[in-house]
Amino acid sequence: MKTKVLMMMVLFAVLAAIDSPLFAHHGAAAYDMSKPVVLKDATVTEFLWINPHPLIKADYKDKEGNVQHWTMEMGSTMSAGLIGWTRTTLKHGDVVTLYVWQAKTRKPVGRFNKVVFADGSTMRDTQTGADDGTRADTDVGRGGH
Amino acid sequence: MRKPHTGAIAGVAGVLFLSALAAAQNNAARSPWKYYPMERAIGDGGPAPKRDLTGTWAGPASGAAVPRGRTESPPPLTPLGKQSYERNKPLGKYSPGGTNDPHSRYCDPFGFPQNMTQEIRGLTITTLPNRTFLLLQYMDVWREVWTDGRTLPANVGGTARDSLDPKYNGYSVGHWEDDYTFMVDTTGLAEETWATKSGYPHSVDAHVQERFHRDSKNDLTLTITMDDPKLYTKPFFLGEEHFRWIPNQQLDEFTCIPSQVQQYLKEMGDPAGSDPSAAR
Repeated sequence: MKTKVLMMMVLFAVLAAIDSPLFAHHGAAAYDMSKPVVLKDATVTEFLWINPHPLIKADYKDKEGNVQHWTMEMGSTMSAGLIGWTRTTLKHGDVVTLYVWQAKTRKPVGRFNKVVFADGSTMRDTQTGADDGTRADTDVGRGGH
Repeated sequence: MRKPHTGAIAGVAGVLFLSALAAAQNNAARSPWKYYPMERAIGDGGPAPKRDLTGTWAGPASGAAVPRGRTESPPPLTPLGKQSYERNKPLGKYSPGGTNDPHSRYCDPFGFPQNMTQEIRGLTITTLPNRTFLLLQYMDVWREVWTDGRTLPANVGGTARDSLDPKYNGYSVGHWEDDYTFMVDTTGLAEETWATKSGYPHSVDAHVQERFHRDSKNDLTLTITMDDPKLYTKPFFLGEEHFRWIPNQQLDEFTCIPSQVQQYLKEMGDPAGSDPSAAR
């Protein structure tokens, strides 16, 4: 019980410190939020630190050996920066596992969910970063492009 | 069963965690040129100075835990207003791939009054003897509010030779209602802009009133209403925004870059498409 309360306190403190990611630039209506697509061992080809949303571009080889060229968006540079992202968090050639909510058009584009790096560490999106498609950071305050 | 000291331990843990976080931030190299959203004014800072809004403020979208305000409350539209409103496809419903919001597609200016409620991040207010300037962080916008006693123009957008052109930020005059409340009246707005991000329109003759209230040294509250009888049957409450004093008075740059938006739409927004029926 004590541990649980402590965990809750720390979580609250983290969320309060991280703050809101600035209100959403646009909704998630274009994406299939039922289950993220997992791109295991994808190779980052470009990480564009641009507005309104940074873009992660990566190549993913499917079971048949076909290479899919993916593009995914994340929260704004300002809101991503609040939870530790920088323009060099991902680099050309990085091999990572990417989780993405794919567009309903079924094209290889989508809303970024999280990345698992080679060392097992994880970084999430500022919005839609939770595994159920909600925000992973916080609902404290308002914010987010 | 919960032990009586559990809460105290949890509280201490929380304080220690925040202290560690603050210490980590303080130990990092500090720059007087950088905006630190985690560095926040403490408390209300004491009484508000009289007739003074000067300074740099963190807005609700600044990442600095500024309290939530109140959002718009649209009144019924006139037939002309309904016609204008139905032409607009807001981003929240249509996604980047389906919206016709000129800002989302081309970085066109929000224009006033939308630029005081949408992406309202940081705000600097500065004053000359005859004018007050409102400098908005997002899109590096500056608004000019005349305080020399002139009245608002009545001939904006007309066909007469002496008519004034509509402007993205309109024509503004301001006065102190009391020692802590600065009122700004604006008209002559460019009609191609939207009054709200949800696509509500305005006419060139809309009269927008802003009420800036200095609640304390560290707190500022803005409420905005619009009266536009051509398009709405009643005055339109556009929102209430709170601002907090920024300790080092420094803001970051944040703007919409047309070439980046075109790249974003080409590679991401347009391929992702639009599903307005799924909008929440």
